[in-house]
Amino acid sequence: MLTKRLIFTLLYDNGSFMLSRNFRLQKIGDLNWLEDNYGFSNVGYQIDELIAIDVSRQNRDSAKFCEILGKLTRNCFAPITAGGGIKTLEHARELLRSGADKLVVNSALHDQPDLVENLASEFGRQCVVASVDTQKIDNSYRVFKHNGSVDTAYSLDQFLLRCAGLPIGEIYLTSIDRDGTGNGLDFEMLDHVSHVKDLPLIVKGGIGNADHIVAGLADNRVDAVATANLLNFIGDGLARARELSISGGIKLPKF
Amino acid sequence: MANNEVLIVDYGMGNLWSVASAIKFLGKTPVVTSDLSVISTSETLILPGVGSFRRAMDTIRKQSIDKAIFDSLENPNTKLLGICLGMQLLGASSTEDGPTAGLGLVQNEVVRLSKSETSPIKIPHVGFNKVQMPNDSKLFEQIPIDASFYFVHSYAMQILNDISIYTTTTYGHQFVAAIESGQVFGTQFHPEKSQKNGLKVLENFLR
Repeated sequence: MLTKRLIFTLLYDNGSFMLSRNFRLQKIGDLNWLEDNYGFSNVGYQIDELIAIDVSRQNRDSAKFCEILGKLTRNCFAPITAGGGIKTLEHARELLRSGADKLVVNSALHDQPDLVENLASEFGRQCVVASVDTQKIDNSYRVFKHNGSVDTAYSLDQFLLRCAGLPIGEIYLTSIDRDGTGNGLDFEMLDHVSHVKDLPLIVKGGIGNADHIVAGLADNRVDAVATANLLNFIGDGLARARELSISGGIKLPKF
Repeated sequence: MANNEVLIVDYGMGNLWSVASAIKFLGKTPVVTSDLSVISTSETLILPGVGSFRRAMDTIRKQSIDKAIFDSLENPNTKLLGICLGMQLLGASSTEDGPTAGLGLVQNEVVRLSKSETSPIKIPHVGFNKVQMPNDSKLFEQIPIDASFYFVHSYAMQILNDISIYTTTTYGHQFVAAIESGQVFGTQFHPEKSQKNGLKVLENFLR
């Protein structure tokens, strides 16, 4: 039986790791802060997967991000997904050389479908994670691009139908409304994912505590939940959330 | 090559970095190379791989890496571990992107994952899954029976009724999670991405 996944997302901006609320960023700490408070590079840190995204809004330094990624993942023997502003195959290759196993793309789904094709033919479609950001406007879910700043006019249903035709391996779906609020996941959003029901689905946005994680993992449409809440799971918070999930009947791997 | 060295075959596909850091963590020295003379004289080889079977075999043949691997296995002390696509490449053939012959070190075929009537599945198979390990397995020695390993793949190797030692997983249908056949070993999952239990599988292989 395939287990579900509890994923931690790290948002990186120009040397710092960020807290995001409705896609507005707040600086929390650097790599040392992250090591002191989480220790992902300690062997045995209990995480099913790590997603690291370079969300730098200006002057993105991808070489620097790759260097940080390499340090962060040196002794982290868990799956790593990385991305943020991937525009070329070479950039993708650099991320994979720095410790990433999979690539997350968002704006390229809208602006560079050719790049998505090329990433899949070069690294396999299982390597391409499609990140989709959605926000509810006038009672319907719309898809946004460029860090949530541009309304694409696509409905969530329409856009996921388009994604289903692309060579991708997973969907990583974020609610912009719930992002960073700690109010729990947006389950209504999941009424619009039927077009990608044959792809693994990661859901994000709104997780503030372990109960929210359990509720998300218990939903049969959801394969994985992700949280980028840098402050609420400090120390052994993620390990405790795993234990609570397992005791609540959720199938998670035992490490 | 020195005793402590583990050769990681570099044919331009796959996450060599993670495999190398796991080898380093286990106290060995990873040597990442595509140099044929180094490959053919190595006693411990790892063949990683992510991506398309056809593309990988094209590259391996074009660079004569297949011959270098066969040469290394002439030495009875040599052992080889294929990981993920690297394990599939050990097989007879794959249907990915049209039928393609593999290295043929084992005779198993690789086919696309498929759902069964009782088990609807999403493809690719992504995440941690349990495996059924036989008692005589070297790779899974001292590994707890409920251990899970990280898989990410859309194609899988079929089980044969032969003398190989098979560890299996069921996702849709039952397939090869790991194979042990004389000098040749393979894991469909990523031991370098499967936390402590994965590191133990690598350690067992290196022992």
